[in-house]
Amino acid sequence: MVACLKAINLKPKIDEFEDRLLIQKAVYLLQLKGIKTNFSYHLYVRGPYSKELTDEIYDNRNKVERLETSLKLSNTEAKMIGEFNELFFGLKPGILEVAATYSLFAFDQKQDAITALKNVKRMKSFYSEAQIAVGISKAKEFLFRPSEKEISELKEELRPWQEASAESMRG
Amino acid sequence: MFRLFKYYLAKGLIGGIVLDSDFLSLIEESKALNSSVFSLIRLQLLSSIAGVGKDSVTYRELKAALQVTDGALYTNLKFLEETGYIASKRITLEGKELESYLITQEGLLAWEQIRNWLKKLVECGVKNNESG
Repeated sequence: MVACLKAINLKPKIDEFEDRLLIQKAVYLLQLKGIKTNFSYHLYVRGPYSKELTDEIYDNRNKVERLETSLKLSNTEAKMIGEFNELFFGLKPGILEVAATYSLFAFDQKQDAITALKNVKRMKSFYSEAQIAVGISKAKEFLFRPSEKEISELKEELRPWQEASAESMRG
Repeated sequence: MFRLFKYYLAKGLIGGIVLDSDFLSLIEESKALNSSVFSLIRLQLLSSIAGVGKDSVTYRELKAALQVTDGALYTNLKFLEETGYIASKRITLEGKELESYLITQEGLLAWEQIRNWLKKLVECGVKNNESG
């Protein structure tokens, strides 16, 4: 977890509410992306939240604040964090909160996009439409993995173009 | 509400309850509970705030998640604060000052006690329904 915080350039002050919120949401999104930090998350009034993670950061406050860790990220993990940094540059709590909450509904609980959107709007009604739209679009960009069916549909859609292109190269 | 609940229990009207030792010990245990917390909104608030452990929950998060009016939310938060079960704290988020609430040690103990009692109550009802 500390290695992840280091890689996303977050130097947290554990007593700050905003920093604890950033840790919660960033770790959740990175877990969904595939980085194994093994914190169990559940839906709370805050959206996705891990009580274990809060205990961990309070119990190891000094190490977390100084970003002390001997663990190194693998290349795959570093690549995932690179994508995270690119998308969530500046770590805005509101955007991360919306992105994490949408991800819980859409990617973890596998709700359809409209239901997930309705649930985000209900739980995060204090955020503007623009913040909700940006948060959701970033979550989708970060976590969307096309299914086999979607890949085959996409191939089918692109087939005529590929055939036309091959034809033009031949002749 | 709590008194009505106890009345129904005593009359055996919840879950077809047969009076047995479980039921009697439930009534005994209920005497130790703070009955003023037994309203839907107060239980929801205690559960929501205790749920995040050492962290705090903002007023706006509670309002959005529980979908209650400002009047109801403010009054019941105030009540729980005066009872000593929650404490309020000003926090800053994205440059805005917000009111947040966290559970106290006393509140956590009360919540655990209520939760355990409610679990036993439900189990007692299920057991009696199955045996009936």
